[in-house]
Amino acid sequence: MKRLPALISLISILLSFPVLLRSQTNGMRVLSGQVTDSYNEPLAGASVFVRGHIKDGTSTDSNGYFALELPDSKKVIIEASFLGMKPYTLEYTGQKEVLIVMEDDANMMESAIVMGKQNINDLDIRAKAGVINSVDMDRLQDRPVMDLSLSLQGSAPGLVVTNRGDLGTKPEIRIRGNSSFRKGDVANEPLYVLDGQVISSDAFMTLNPLDIADIKILKDAVACALYGTKAANGVLEITSVRGTNGDTMVTYDFNGGVTFRGRRGVQMMETDEKLELERRLKNVEAPGYRYSEDYYRRYFAKDPDLDKMIAEGKALLDKLRQTNTDWFKELLRNDFYQRHNLSVRGGNSKTSYYASANYSYQGGQVPGNDVNRFTGRMSLDQALGTKGYVSLSVSGGYSKANSPNGSTYSPTSLIYELNPYESKTSGELFSYPNRTYNDLVYQFDRTSTEKRFGATASINLEPLQGLTIGAVAGLDFVLSESLEFTPSTAYEEQRSGAPQNELGKISKSKNTNANVTTNVRVTWNRTFGKHDVTVGANTDYYLDNMDNMSVTGYGVGKLKSMSAINQSIEGNRKVSTSNFREKTAQLGVGLLGGYCYDGIYDIFGTYKADASSILPKDKRWNAAWAVGVGWNMKGYAFMEDWDPISTLRFKASYGRTASLAGVSPSLTVGTFSYLEDSYGDIRLLELMALYNDSLKPEQTVSTEVGMSMGLFNRVTLDVGWYDRRTEDALLDVPIPSSNGFTTLKRNIGILSNSGIEASVNTKIVDRNDFRLNLRLSLAYNRNKVIDLYDGDRLYTSEDTVIPDYEVGQSYDMIYGPISLGLDPMSGLPVFKGADGREIQATEKLRREDMVPLGHSVPPYNGTINLSFTYRQLEFDADFYYVFGGIKAYAYAYVRDYDDANRNAVRGQVQNMWFQKGDEGKIYHTPFYSSAAIENLTMWPNSRSVGSSDYLRLSMLSLRYRFPHSFIKKLGGIVKYGNVAIQASNLFTLTRYKESDPESGSFVGAQQPILTFNLSLSF
Amino acid sequence: MSGCLNIKLEDQYSDPDAISNTTTARELLASAYNSLPRYQMELSVLGDDFVPTNLAGKYAEMQNLYAWQEKAIDDLSDNVWSEYYMTVAIVNALLARADGITPKDEEDARLLENICSEAKALKALCYFDLLRLYGPVYSEENLSKEGIILKDRLELDFLPRSSIEDCASEIETLLKEAATADNASAEVFYLSTSAVKALQAEFELYRGNYSAAVSYGLPLLENASSRWNQTDYRNLWADNASADRLFAPYIFDSFYTDLCYDRESGDYFVLDNSLVFSDSDVRKDWAVHMINMGGKQVTALGKYNRMYYENATVRYINTMRYSGVCFTVAEAYARDLQYDLARQTVNMLLNAYGAEPLVDGLSGEELVEAILHEKHKEFAGEGVRLFDLKRMGRQLVKKGNFGVGTSVTVNADDYRWLFPIPQSEYKYNDKITQNNPQWPFIKTD
Repeated sequence: MKRLPALISLISILLSFPVLLRSQTNGMRVLSGQVTDSYNEPLAGASVFVRGHIKDGTSTDSNGYFALELPDSKKVIIEASFLGMKPYTLEYTGQKEVLIVMEDDANMMESAIVMGKQNINDLDIRAKAGVINSVDMDRLQDRPVMDLSLSLQGSAPGLVVTNRGDLGTKPEIRIRGNSSFRKGDVANEPLYVLDGQVISSDAFMTLNPLDIADIKILKDAVACALYGTKAANGVLEITSVRGTNGDTMVTYDFNGGVTFRGRRGVQMMETDEKLELERRLKNVEAPGYRYSEDYYRRYFAKDPDLDKMIAEGKALLDKLRQTNTDWFKELLRNDFYQRHNLSVRGGNSKTSYYASANYSYQGGQVPGNDVNRFTGRMSLDQALGTKGYVSLSVSGGYSKANSPNGSTYSPTSLIYELNPYESKTSGELFSYPNRTYNDLVYQFDRTSTEKRFGATASINLEPLQGLTIGAVAGLDFVLSESLEFTPSTAYEEQRSGAPQNELGKISKSKNTNANVTTNVRVTWNRTFGKHDVTVGANTDYYLDNMDNMSVTGYGVGKLKSMSAINQSIEGNRKVSTSNFREKTAQLGVGLLGGYCYDGIYDIFGTYKADASSILPKDKRWNAAWAVGVGWNMKGYAFMEDWDPISTLRFKASYGRTASLAGVSPSLTVGTFSYLEDSYGDIRLLELMALYNDSLKPEQTVSTEVGMSMGLFNRVTLDVGWYDRRTEDALLDVPIPSSNGFTTLKRNIGILSNSGIEASVNTKIVDRNDFRLNLRLSLAYNRNKVIDLYDGDRLYTSEDTVIPDYEVGQSYDMIYGPISLGLDPMSGLPVFKGADGREIQATEKLRREDMVPLGHSVPPYNGTINLSFTYRQLEFDADFYYVFGGIKAYAYAYVRDYDDANRNAVRGQVQNMWFQKGDEGKIYHTPFYSSAAIENLTMWPNSRSVGSSDYLRLSMLSLRYRFPHSFIKKLGGIVKYGNVAIQASNLFTLTRYKESDPESGSFVGAQQPILTFNLSLSF
Repeated sequence: MSGCLNIKLEDQYSDPDAISNTTTARELLASAYNSLPRYQMELSVLGDDFVPTNLAGKYAEMQNLYAWQEKAIDDLSDNVWSEYYMTVAIVNALLARADGITPKDEEDARLLENICSEAKALKALCYFDLLRLYGPVYSEENLSKEGIILKDRLELDFLPRSSIEDCASEIETLLKEAATADNASAEVFYLSTSAVKALQAEFELYRGNYSAAVSYGLPLLENASSRWNQTDYRNLWADNASADRLFAPYIFDSFYTDLCYDRESGDYFVLDNSLVFSDSDVRKDWAVHMINMGGKQVTALGKYNRMYYENATVRYINTMRYSGVCFTVAEAYARDLQYDLARQTVNMLLNAYGAEPLVDGLSGEELVEAILHEKHKEFAGEGVRLFDLKRMGRQLVKKGNFGVGTSVTVNADDYRWLFPIPQSEYKYNDKITQNNPQWPFIKTD
């Protein structure tokens, strides 16, 4: 309710739009528009002026927009200029809006300086044969989401971002699926490079989206090969915003709004239905049976007070019926979102600069869960005569995430457990015997903070024509701290049996991760008639230094402080410390060569040899190489003037990369470390793992074919097919236990990811004052186990009947038996065996009875982006969809006899089998013998999985740019301004019946956010 | 050029520099000692040391083990097998690296020799326990039957089981090599030369070489009367220094805390009623712990269990004791028909404890039986009895709650006397065979 005034003011601003629009037509003639380069990228800081009136000119804002007052003369020539671009002129003929597309000036390029490109691996030549997608940063910045990695969801085909938990949790980011049998980030995460400096994925999460000018997604071998063996899982190249060649512009950007509870996963029962269910489940722990007539008649049938008892029971139940708590509303909250961003940007032809500061806050659904972030950034570019330039950038950030969802206890799960007839004040709970509501909440909290600091310096020189020398060096440092606290008053602590002075647990960890990058590159390019030749070489060095330590102690009572630890405690509550430090380095040498004939045929190849400190000396060097070809049909003379086809380009590439992701020294050579305990007075030196001295790095082999086509300058179509095989894929596989260890990391097989990625961009309407754009994209990834060196099926646990990997199958398969439904006589499911026979739930299922049920990772995903511009109004909407996957239902909220005292899913009374002859029921009998437990709970079956397809409105933005006349009324201080309503994740459509189809958990669904945005440039 | 890649790990130590001197070798050996499995309680529950109480039902896993349920034994076997082989693996890692250590001086050379001796003895100890659990009883006709896997190197292997004969000769060799070092004054939590001698004696008794058992054991009993005083016995179970200890691994965590349900209600299992100590016997106060269960005084296990009740810390696990050597030697004498010597040997101990000595004239099978009964009393709850029951080929009668009635009878020829080879081994090792057809052996693919 407190947010109401904000909403009203928002609406009043919207209602005033027509007034603002009308005011524009009075008096002065004004021309507004946008300046872009030939790739449709907006140019910020371009000068726009009327010939002869340079002083009254203006420069474009960060999105390339401008508004220019026109003098009242007959013939008006508008000019636009931007460093490195051909000057642009246009005669004013009364149009209201104009799009100015500027072209590169090849002559000027040689003498002028391209400002601020710190990433010297970002060579244009790569793009002719390699697959590089650019993220539309404008759309990304329109999305009110704190976490940069989550806001990347749907931004490029083949880049899959999956939310994994509550706010502040790192999402899963994959480029074209997992490249290893090993699940998890270590082996499958892409490489992040910010301005030529390698950064960790944690550092990436904390970047401020408004400081980023461009994110490139490098997907195939040719695009990635310059990064060598580090890039086996693809690369995200991030380029920060830099200064401009123009007037200093100060921009303030504000977002403020509401975060919502989000989608209700499962509708739970209301009081009446719950009490009825309890009566039927006949568990005396639940009041619906304990106080029912059934109960008294059964146990006190001959008691003279029977009628009185029944009446008392009824009265008690009637009292319970007066309460009907909706725990979803009770335990989750709406909160708020805000973001303040201030930036200064400017410069001249020699020096340019950019500085920004940002503060953001997002509140999560659960009270106590929120994220705060502060970031700052500065960059400077300085020309060195006419032969080069130096660039510097410094950035820092602080972010803090609070979460009450600890490992022992999750308040979110209470929504599905507490009964509707219980309330926060109802004393001892039926759902949690011996506990009150207060024994359940505030039991645990965790704060994690990240402090980041990064600095990058680079120099680019062109001492001779065609010869460029670039060098970059940088450091990125992240300090992650976490503090976990369980007070002595927490229920678990109270019941732990430990003496009073040992209660209360605190645990603190500090992890630092420093990445150092140096890279020197020499490139020579020369054109001989129709031949264009490029050769280059580089050497780079990457150092990754991880230093972690943590302390856990007890006896702190209610004090959240390390100094409150009781150091006198012995035994298993003794203070414990742990430490882990790992420093790894990689040294690389690379060569590249490119040739282009007449702008039609391109061939490009790279070879890079990398040596890693992780491996023993004799195996240290590994290679990454790639070749690619491009064919530009538009380069032929006969095509050049044929308008229907505006672009037509084909490319193909092939490459091999060794990958060391997730390999540590203890896996390849005998490695020992000290344990905390001692033996007598001697420390314990432990052998860390059974090492495998024949371990080889995984080899990623990728093949790619792509085409891009433009029609009538209106429709752009990009289609690509890829295949990425991982040979010698690594996995911890079980070995005979007589070896002393039960697993060993081995090269066990081959897997592949292949797929198709396509996108179509259509300018449906393309007029100066009215534009409508639609972009559709679809990515399909099929992953498959090609070979397992030891047999056809791999089980990583000795007693499971479900294979972890099977040749010919997808590696993300969910296995289970085929269910034939419930037996109306027993109420238990009947399964179909491999030989076609019926298997009862009490029989043991065998490995051959398990069949693949579907993909846990949806193979298809894509986006629909819609843009609509009418005069000052801009409307953008992004939809994200995934399909083709399944998720198992946990049915954790379906109650049987044992947990009858917890709330249940709405409709369970209707849908559950209760007695012989019940037909067409969904849930099996609540009364079953333990013999059936394994088949009922251990694995999903064909009827307990559901499609995880969903469609989400991930972004919605409606922006209004203040017309020039309105700006003028503000007194000339403000140069540009706009307001917007922006929303993220407003709704998700899915057939999945339980929780969140994305994260699969009750805890973490991406929350809807609705904000108001104001942006002013001075 | 790649010199900048020779980065030493800061808190991990990799070959070839990791185990390069006697200090690090000793520390690695310490982790081998520390990894020694601790199933004293489980093995006692399997034997006839305990009877269940009314609380046993609350600890289903242990109750099932008491009843010799297949699944319970299979689960226990999985842990026992992999943990013993873990210790073997660390010893193998150490022995391979010890070869590369160059001692600094004579003293260092002696330290290195001791480390290798202890490592071999530890490996022999593991093999001996494994052989007694997984192999058939040692006898002439069983010599060619399958025993356990003998593992020489730390590397991935898929090995078959070796014959009883080969296993025995490997243990014998290891112990012989261990015995060559002069390591008499080692700490009690290390396997000193005396502990090696005691192991040799026990092993020879197991093999039926009675005179050899006596010749290994007897020298250890020379000063026996001095160490079997009542203080030393008390100290064993009060976690103080005791002269009776031969080998007592050091323990950092808690130990033997599972017998007790809670301190108010009592234990899941209590001592079998055949284990009775006279009032003058010092063991009555320490090996037995009288507790009140349901209004009745019952004889629960003392020892570590009593220490748990009293919240005392356990630092030493009394694994090998001089009193054990006494029973080994006595039994060897008795089986070698030297009845007087046998009785004298046992009575030396019993007199020291203030217990009733064996009556004169006791001989033959009766004497052996009496010695084993006294040994049962001495080691109650310490997981020793099961080995004797198996070695003697006894029928085992598992009693009902508080010793009333019979719940299960395990015959001498029951297949479960041989622990099953666990799934964690046979699933991934094509060369392995299962012990008895009755045990599950589910191979797939």
